[in-house]
Order: sequence, then structure tokens, then C-alpha cells
Amino acid sequence: MGTVSLKNVKKSYGSTAIVEDLSLDFPEGSFTVLVGPSGCGKSTTLRMIAGLETVSAGQVKINGKDVTDLDPKDRDVAMVFQNYALYPHLTVLENIAFPLRATKTPREEARQKSLSVAESLGLGHLTSRKPKDLSGGQQQRVAIGRAIIREPAVFLFDEPLSNLDAKLRVETRSELLALQRKLGVTSIYVTHDQEEAMTLSDRMVVMKDGKIVQLGSPLEVYTKPNSVFVATFVGSPKMTILRGMSDGQNFTHERGSQFKFPSDITGPVLLGVRPEEIALEPSNEGQGRIELIELLGPRAVITVSLGESSVVAVVEAQKLHNIFLGSRVSISFSTISAHLFSEDTQLRLN
Amino acid sequence: MKKKLFNSLRGLLLLTALVSVLFPLVWVTLASFKTPSQLNDPSLLFFDPNFENWLYVIDRGILDAALRSATVATITVIISAIAGSTAAYVISTYKAGGNATRFGILAAQVLPPAVLVFPFLTLAYLTRVNDSLLPLIFAHLSFVLPVVTWFLIGFFDSVPRSLEEQARVDGFTRFKAFLLVVLPQVYPGLGAAVIFGFTLSWNDMFYGLILTPSRSAILPVSIAGFNTFRGVELGAMSAAILVAVVPVVIASFFIQRKLVQGISGGAVKF
Repeated sequence: MGTVSLKNVKKSYGSTAIVEDLSLDFPEGSFTVLVGPSGCGKSTTLRMIAGLETVSAGQVKINGKDVTDLDPKDRDVAMVFQNYALYPHLTVLENIAFPLRATKTPREEARQKSLSVAESLGLGHLTSRKPKDLSGGQQQRVAIGRAIIREPAVFLFDEPLSNLDAKLRVETRSELLALQRKLGVTSIYVTHDQEEAMTLSDRMVVMKDGKIVQLGSPLEVYTKPNSVFVATFVGSPKMTILRGMSDGQNFTHERGSQFKFPSDITGPVLLGVRPEEIALEPSNEGQGRIELIELLGPRAVITVSLGESSVVAVVEAQKLHNIFLGSRVSISFSTISAHLFSEDTQLRLN
Repeated sequence: MKKKLFNSLRGLLLLTALVSVLFPLVWVTLASFKTPSQLNDPSLLFFDPNFENWLYVIDRGILDAALRSATVATITVIISAIAGSTAAYVISTYKAGGNATRFGILAAQVLPPAVLVFPFLTLAYLTRVNDSLLPLIFAHLSFVLPVVTWFLIGFFDSVPRSLEEQARVDGFTRFKAFLLVVLPQVYPGLGAAVIFGFTLSWNDMFYGLILTPSRSAILPVSIAGFNTFRGVELGAMSAAILVAVVPVVIASFFIQRKLVQGISGGAVKF
């Protein structure tokens, strides 16, 4: 069990800043996901917590103890890497038991403990295999087993699911979440996949260019994104952003289409609407024209062109019978759920 | 038709290569069992083998010389393996010295050994260890260590960095992580490097000739000793040559595949 706290942490290589002045607390037992596009500094942050990267300035604390200059081995953290980093020359059991060699656990005790960990992860029948003889999902479990055997203060995950195929990823995701809930160990998880971030985290930290742009529960981040960047990064398909003018009653798109949108904000704005909040109605006088229909099974993603911009909507597959490629539709959305952003700062207004 | 021609050409080429490699070996082997008068007839293939030459070279201390050679090669190769593997790892992982080190490490190899041998000899005299194995070991390290290091860099390149990092997070020091996790990944390469380094040291004659001329003469120097003022003692020399050659041939057989891997940049998958 443990807490992690970062205080004004900076990381730079020469004059290039990777992480800028980051302060963040990870409460005991929390599951925090750092998410952002590649190169945003999320992995570097995780590696600084692990002690694999030095900190250029600032302080890293684990359980209240300053570990900024300590080796990874003295930090009481366990880490799961993207490629699992299983030791190729050791068997599954030896891999899981490996951290116990560092703590000089008696051989028989280590064996018993690793056997029960292997058993609990459904690896009981594979203990004498070498990593190369395992499937991706099994390798992943071994990596997790090796992480949990030490009962560390903190779990660190560096994109641990991205090497799995889509189906297995979803399965493993829920298993990982259940495991974390059961063990209650503070976990910090890095991913570029916003969907993964939303399903796993209690707290989501969205990063961009080495800075935190938004921190909150996944629901908060999804429903109240504080900037255009977060709004478009989180959620799939992407939120539609339209440029236009608000006069207090209506929003007028730059190409002339008008939408009823009462608000206290007037002037040039960016209007953001989630695809699932857009309703399309076939109409010969409609503002938009259907450009693309992507069927996903129960739902379909529909791209509608509106002048030069496009609007992305998600509709139930049953409603597709009166929507055709090239036909005109009228676009409407609920005013409560729409997001307004400043055109200059790209920050949230409403 | 074309294929047939190609195949027979290939066969011819292989035959030429085989004969050119095997002929001297066969000749030397036969010569070592011949009496001096039989030696005058090189075409003589079938005769009663005679062990005079072998008894003679053993009497002349060829086995002691072989033991000295083995001692020098073993010590050289142990030091090279320890220093070379750690150096290669640092060059591969931490890019120590930049890319220049990767190949710069072999720079000394372009110098003729004659440039280095006199400083070694002078130092040996100054420290009163001349005509002993010690200066020879140092001299051999000057070419075995860089080659072993260079050879291993490619193997370390193919070990993922995350293995070491994982071991460090799992509670080990950087050195322990290297020893327990990284090094085992390059054991095949290390084995090949050790055998290769051993043969390099074992085969050296030049340094031995000048640094250990008499009392502690190593095998190649002893072999040259059969070229006497009375002429070359062909039969004896042949037997002595076989003592030197057989271990190398056996070693090459085991490392030839790894040797190609090491030279082609350690393109081994783990």
C-alpha cells in the first residue's frame, strides 16, 4: 500500500523539456491513468516514478519518503512493461519468483508463493514453460504475476495491453481492474488509448506536451472537457467541433447553418458536440449531406458534410433504413450537452 | 541443362576449396608418421606408421609448450571475457563514447604488431618479467580484448533494454541485473567469443617469438624451433604442427555459425 507524490517534477534532455513542472498526488489504493498522445511525457513520468529516469528538478515521494535519488530497487515499486520484459532464459515459475531472489526469500517459501501466484492467474499448468512458448496473453499474466508477488507499494503499468489483440485486450482490461480492486494497491497506468483510460481509471490525467491538461474522474473528463484538445482526444468517434458565432439565442455556423442554442456567451466560439448527442433527420431542406456510413453492428458512425466541415454522428443501426449516402439530413443536438470553447484560447467557456 | 552446369561448377568450386584446405592437413598428418627417408617421397600414401617423430617432439617438450600456450590463451580469454562483456554492454546500451567507440575499438588492429612488440619487450625488461608468460598475456590482450568486445557489441544490441530495467525494478542493482538477466541472453555469443579469442591467442607466433624466445617458449615458437641449422626437421615439425592445429580445428567447428552471427551484427533473435 502506498501513496505517490510528484512535486514540481521536471525532465529535460538538454534544452528539450519532456515533462514540465508536474505536480500530482496519487492517493492510496487509487487507480490513476496517465493518458495522452505519444510524446506527451506520460511514459517518462512513469519511468521517473520507477527510478529508471533521473529527475531534472523536483521531488518524487513514495509513502511520504523522498525517493528522488534512490535506485529503482529501493523504491518498492513493481512495473509491467509494454513488451512484458519476461526473462527469456527462465521458466514461468522462475520469472514470477525472480523478485523474491532480490529479497533473499528462502527457496522453498519462494517456490510455494510463486506457485500460488501462478495458480491464481491461471498459469498453474505452464509453470515449467519458457516465455517464448507462451501466447501473448499468457506472457502478460506472467508479467503481472511477477509484479504482484512482491506486494509492492505501487504498481506501474507502461501500456501493458497494447501488444494484445483487440478481443484479449478488452478481457485482460477487466481482469486487471478486478485484480487491482482485490489487492487495493495504488496503481499508475500509462496508455495512449483513451478508451482504456476511461474504463480503468478512478482518476484520469490527460497530458499534452509534458503538462497536465486535465485531471478528473473519467466521467468528468468526458462530460466536461476543459479544452478542445481534451474534448477531441477523449471519446471515440471524435467530438465534432464547429466554428461559428453565438448571439445568445442561436449558434450560426461559419457556412451559414443556424442551430438553436441559448447561452450567455456571445461572439465567435467553437461548438463541440459528441457524436451520440447528434440527431439526424432526413429532410430535403437539411443543412448536411451524408458522406460516409460506417456500420459497427448495433450502431453506425455517420459522417455528414456541413459546408467544408464535417459532423460525426452515431446512430442506432435500426434508423439506417431512411439514411442513404448522399441524401440530405437536418442536424440537431441537445443544447445541454453541447460544449462551448473560446476560439482564441481553445478553453472551455460554459 | 543450365542448372546442371551450375551444379557441376559449384561442385568443382567446393572440391577445389576442400582440397586446398585438406591437402596440407593430410600431408602433415602423413609426414608426422614417416621416417626421414620416407619423407623424401611425398607421393607415398601407404606405409607402416612410425612414431619416432611423435616421441621426439614430446621429448623436446612440445607438450610443455602446448601447456604454456594454453595457459596464456586461457588467462587472456578469461580477462577478455570479463572486461570485454562489460565493455561491450556499456558501449551497446549506454552508447558510451558514441558510435566511434564501436569501431574505434578495433583501431589498434590496423597497427602492425611490430609497433607494439618493442614497447612490450622494453616494459618486460624494466619490470624484470622478460621471457615469462606475463608480458605475453598483456601483448595478447592487446588484440584479443578489442576483438572479443567488438564481437559482443552486436549480441548485446539485440537484448531489449527493458530486461535490465525490469530486473532493476524487481529489486536488483544495475550490476546484478546485468549478471543475472542481460548476460545470460548473450551466452551463445560469449561462448563463441571465448573460443575465437582463444584461437587468436593460441595461434599467435609473432609476440611469442620476441617476448618468450627460449625458456618459456609457447607452442608456435617451439614449432619454429624444428627449423634448425641442420635444416628443417620435417617429420618432427609435422607432428608438432598437428599438436597446434587439432584444437583449433575442433574449436572452429563449434563456433563457425556464431562467428557469422557476431560479424553480421549479432542478428540473433531471443
